Amino acid sequence: MKDIFIDIDYSQIYKFGQKIGGDVFLQKRNPERNQIVAVLSDGLGSGVKANVLASLTANMAKKLSFSPMDLKHSANIIMDTLPVCKERKISYSTFSIADIRYNALNSNIRVNFLEYDNPHALFFRDSTNIDWEGDVTILDREKAFKKEEIVHNVFNLRVGDRIIIISDGVTQAGLGASRSLGWRLNGVKQYISDILKDSPSISSRALTKQIVNKALSLDGLASKDDITCCCIYIRKPRRTLIVTGPPFLKESDDLLCQKIKDFKGKKIISGGTTALIVSKHLNKKIKVDLSTWSKDVPPSSTMDGMDLVTEGMLTLSKVVYTLEKKIPLVELANDAVKKYIELILDSDQVHFLVGTKINEAHQDPSIPVEIGIRRTLIERLRKTLEENYLKETSIEYI
Amino acid sequence: MDKKVKIKICVGTSCFVQGGSDLLLYNDFIDPEIIEKCDIEGISCFNACKGHENGSAPFVMINDKIYGDMTPEKLNKIVIEVYHARNK
Ligand code: FES
Repeated sequence: MKDIFIDIDYSQIYKFGQKIGGDVFLQKRNPERNQIVAVLSDGLGSGVKANVLASLTANMAKKLSFSPMDLKHSANIIMDTLPVCKERKISYSTFSIADIRYNALNSNIRVNFLEYDNPHALFFRDSTNIDWEGDVTILDREKAFKKEEIVHNVFNLRVGDRIIIISDGVTQAGLGASRSLGWRLNGVKQYISDILKDSPSISSRALTKQIVNKALSLDGLASKDDITCCCIYIRKPRRTLIVTGPPFLKESDDLLCQKIKDFKGKKIISGGTTALIVSKHLNKKIKVDLSTWSKDVPPSSTMDGMDLVTEGMLTLSKVVYTLEKKIPLVELANDAVKKYIELILDSDQVHFLVGTKINEAHQDPSIPVEIGIRRTLIERLRKTLEENYLKETSIEYI
Repeated sequence: MDKKVKIKICVGTSCFVQGGSDLLLYNDFIDPEIIEKCDIEGISCFNACKGHENGSAPFVMINDKIYGDMTPEKLNKIVIEVYHARNK
């Protein structure tokens, strides 16, 4: 598993009354080439027309290559393709493009960054804002109506770094109303610095959400333009270990417990018998929490050093079902399944440690649960986590 | 002073699916005054489901004795009996 995670997410609020955005954010992950491209484009005006312009721009940007050599070329292609607005004599949508290349083995992350007419992107190392300028290239396109400047920069990112890209709906929030000149880049910068000082490891989703909500409030809760913010954040992956089933050989119980102890991250023990083994070997008490259960999910328990201890099959199958059906967290009963899902969705990587011993109790034909199910359930869980929730998973049998 | 009745309800898979979940609604079928005199907790598995000496699931342990084939009525009855036997 990779030791680094590139957390990219965005938040957006459309211009008040619009059902479609003129700001478009796209990201494309290309794991085979160790590349991610993220694009924010703002089409002229708002509504459908702007959305088409921005989508077109963002899609082109995603496909073009951005090595410094043909940077200008790429930008030219984009700008030449976009239609011209007859009255305003401006042809474009604005764009910011981050072409992120990483090396799977080390933490070297290189971002080729290109910006045209969007507010200047912000760069934070931990919670400190770092000013950057980049090289300016003037495009001298024949058809141009005005001077067209492209800013290019290469960022070498490390853990704790963030690039935050915003649309002008953010910098101009509150214009003429709560702030005569709008929020402005400096205001946004200060606001982000304050957040990062309080919560240095805030996720991209939570951070961008706070920023757009603040912009919305400056606009008096009726956004004057599309408000979009996206964040590229380099961090250590959040990991969760799921231990389920007793080891095939009794002698491996110690090994199992050692592996649990050594794991760095959140820990879920999924199964009563497994919990008993761990409790015995690590000399930790299991305490059943009778306040959290529902009709088909037994109560969860607590154990020192573990984040969650649950019953096995019933809980696991409900977890799988809920994730596959993409049932939102708010609709779930307050039981072990909800806690389980919260933990996994909050991680980037999930590691399964699966014991392969046959559970005697479950061989009783009168009991509607059978052991072969464990493997199937785990396979389904991995599949949905990878495909629907973009988590990385791995598995180990013991 | 009253001696509390110790009740451990199994919430393991076998017990839960065979009626153990109904036992967790003890507030609905045991007199609140009696509940106050009990220490009720959940247990993940007594291993009783692996043998047949104590009957079949669901299992409940009352003052260190395991009872099988438990139902809400039976649990209520035993708890009352045990409580009165202790506090005679
Ligand atoms: S599940 Fe109740 S005794 Fe095993």
